[in-house]
Amino acid sequence: MLSGYIAARLEVGLAKHGNPPPDLKAADGGDWGALLAAAQAGDADAYRRFLSAALPFIRALARRRCGSEEEAEDVVQDVLLTVHRIRHTYEPGRPVKPWLTAITVRRAIDATRKRSRIRTRETFDEHAYETFADPQANREVGSDAPRVLAGMTADLSRGQKEAIDLVKVQEMSLAEASAVSGQTIASLKVNIHRAIKKMRLNLSRKPSE
Amino acid sequence: MTRLPDAMLIDALAADTRPVRPLAPPLKRAAATLAAVALVGAAAVLAAANLREFRSLHAGREVLLALEMAAALATGVLAITAAFFASVPGRSRRCSLAPLPFLAAWLLLSGVGCYRELVAGGAGTGSFSGHPEGNSQHCVLFILGVSALLAPPIIWRLGRAAPLEPLSVALLGGLGIAALSAFLLQFFHPFTVTFLDLGMHLIAVLLVIGVAGVLNRRTLVGSQKAPK
Repeated sequence: MLSGYIAARLEVGLAKHGNPPPDLKAADGGDWGALLAAAQAGDADAYRRFLSAALPFIRALARRRCGSEEEAEDVVQDVLLTVHRIRHTYEPGRPVKPWLTAITVRRAIDATRKRSRIRTRETFDEHAYETFADPQANREVGSDAPRVLAGMTADLSRGQKEAIDLVKVQEMSLAEASAVSGQTIASLKVNIHRAIKKMRLNLSRKPSE
Repeated sequence: MTRLPDAMLIDALAADTRPVRPLAPPLKRAAATLAAVALVGAAAVLAAANLREFRSLHAGREVLLALEMAAALATGVLAITAAFFASVPGRSRRCSLAPLPFLAAWLLLSGVGCYRELVAGGAGTGSFSGHPEGNSQHCVLFILGVSALLAPPIIWRLGRAAPLEPLSVALLGGLGIAALSAFLLQFFHPFTVTFLDLGMHLIAVLLVIGVAGVLNRRTLVGSQKAPK
């Protein structure tokens, strides 16, 4: 009900301001429904077409809900990942827009809550990562870190190093890391798990071992 | 957060797609779940409840009892149905309010029943139908125990939708489970309900809803599996 109302308001608002995203104006929920139903059956091409067609609709909704362009773009990608995760909840034959709107609104609310939580509880301090006030004192620790890290990651396979780098260092999502590396999401998970296990073991070993 | 270009993310998601079975409509899923609960509940009542004693205990107040039990049952059925609707994105949220009038009627009718018993039995006697005070704790244990038995299959069914708002789904589910447990309790209640007893029933119902609310994310989101 609420999501349907928001979708209707969005369309009215866009019509009033005279600059609707092309796909929002052209594509109707019926076409999207057929594409999404085909995607549920495993049709990758239909799924790609559905996500591409729905992207402007999601982006327009996210921009209205979010405080900044940057946050809206994060929400858009979060919505795409959520759609992928819960695409089985779409009931073929029903309108797609209320379903998509509910997901987008929820993800935008989550992003807003996360932003306010970070603002109220976290403070950025550029000196917080230094262990000592004297820069010279930090140099020794700094120079030792690469050696420790090299020791921890020495016996990781190429796939494990890549999985750790993309997901844990660059903070990509599994789907993003999968797209970049070519590894499947399942193998990324396995590689990360095994890499962390090996690194933990290497860290616990004494240098003489 | 590092972001991929949208086109690349869409390609990755499309490459990862595999057939998934769409969930059945929420009404159908709720009906199937409630039918299973009804079967188990009916079997338990027929096997373990003393229906002759139940009838004689409530002789003279059958209509009030029937209304009270119907209100409790309607609260449970509608709350669980509403939880199934709330678990799916984009479905009407109006049905989340549907159990509330029946909840109010249930509480009101229970209060009326207690008042009539109090007037009929005499104030300050401390017991009715020969049962001493303190038996209310068994009612609390009954509601909590039956709720604990009903909760896992219902939570599992609700979790299949991976609800985006697990708290509201958990609260509705908790209310439904507690109301159905309280409905079943009537068949096993050894004495007519007193105000003290009603208060204990309410505490048990609130406990079930509270536990469901506290565990919402862990139980509902945790019980989902990746679609196959």
